[in-house]
Amino acid sequence: MKKMILIADDSPTIRKFVSFSLKMQGYEVVAASDGMEAVEKLPQHNFELIITDLNMPNMDGFELIRVIRENPNYKETPIIILSSLSESEDIERGMGLGANSYLVKPFDPKRIQYEVAKYLN
Amino acid sequence: MKQPTNFSEVFEKITDLKELFQFGEKIIPIFQSLIEFMKDIVPLMENINKSIAESTNKMPSATNQINNVTSATEMATTEILDRVDSISTALINIDNDLTEILKRRAGKKEILDKLKSEINFNDEQLELLGQLYDQDEIDTFLNSIKEKLSLLNDESYQITLALQVQDITSQQLAAVNHLIESVNDKLASLVDDFHNAQIDKKDVDSIEVPESATFDPNARYDKDKSRQNDADDIFNNQQKDKNKDIASQDEIDKLFSGE
Repeated sequence: MKKMILIADDSPTIRKFVSFSLKMQGYEVVAASDGMEAVEKLPQHNFELIITDLNMPNMDGFELIRVIRENPNYKETPIIILSSLSESEDIERGMGLGANSYLVKPFDPKRIQYEVAKYLN
Repeated sequence: MKQPTNFSEVFEKITDLKELFQFGEKIIPIFQSLIEFMKDIVPLMENINKSIAESTNKMPSATNQINNVTSATEMATTEILDRVDSISTALINIDNDLTEILKRRAGKKEILDKLKSEINFNDEQLELLGQLYDQDEIDTFLNSIKEKLSLLNDESYQITLALQVQDITSQQLAAVNHLIESVNDKLASLVDDFHNAQIDKKDVDSIEVPESATFDPNARYDKDKSRQNDADDIFNNQQKDKNKDIASQDEIDKLFSGE
């Protein structure tokens, strides 16, 4: 059975791109267009890893990470932040909330494959 | 005794009045210049006001155009990614098929070798069998196709990487839209304060920034790894206490390039 990954990003291009990169590595990817949609999808699947953008409508990535970490089923699930924000305060805030990795857009697909493999393989 | 004092006061007042007239003579030209200036400046101000009003009315269509550009590029990029995805899937399938062919051929080679060892073929028969199953030549050919497929896969990967530019430009355009919206609001209030000019309120309010327009105004398409390396440094420093093993981007590049 394929390992499931949730990607939350308001950009269809990035959702597609991440799905494409990870599908090639044998993962199944479920996409959400904002934090709110991602939260709705959490109970529908058993995600083994979550990738999230920070700037999103309705619910941003910081809030999403906070909600994920409050969910007993996803307390330990690896979270990768994928954002064009690269200021130290954003990185530190994300980490402080419980993110495990931080990738800056535009990103190298090899890097995201490496980060995912690091946690799932 | 009082009368001379009164005369003296009258003279003083007359002197004051005279000075006032003299001052008036001096000040009147200045007032005249001021009035002339106002006559010149008012039409100019009205022109400025009119220009601001016109500009303000044009801004909603500018933002709509930007939104249209974003939507169009987003659609085109998604379509290209879909196509590249199909191509990559096809390439992977072909590669898997070739791997299976090579595997089956290796099995047949084993059968052939067994036949050779169990049946006493003469030299001519052995040569014919060799020609019938020229393992090395065909396998080399098949492996060469696999290498080319791998190259094609890498190329399609590079296309997808370049397509990330759409996400970055859409964020930049959203930032521009946000700026236009702010300028529009300021200009509209300026025009209202300035001359009660009639800006079509409906037009001013019609600037529509999509609800999903979240953006990073500093987003940029930059293949330079310095931003990721900086992020890694911050992340690594934060993680030191947690003793996590984090690789740098350079290490990952080496890993994937097989160095």
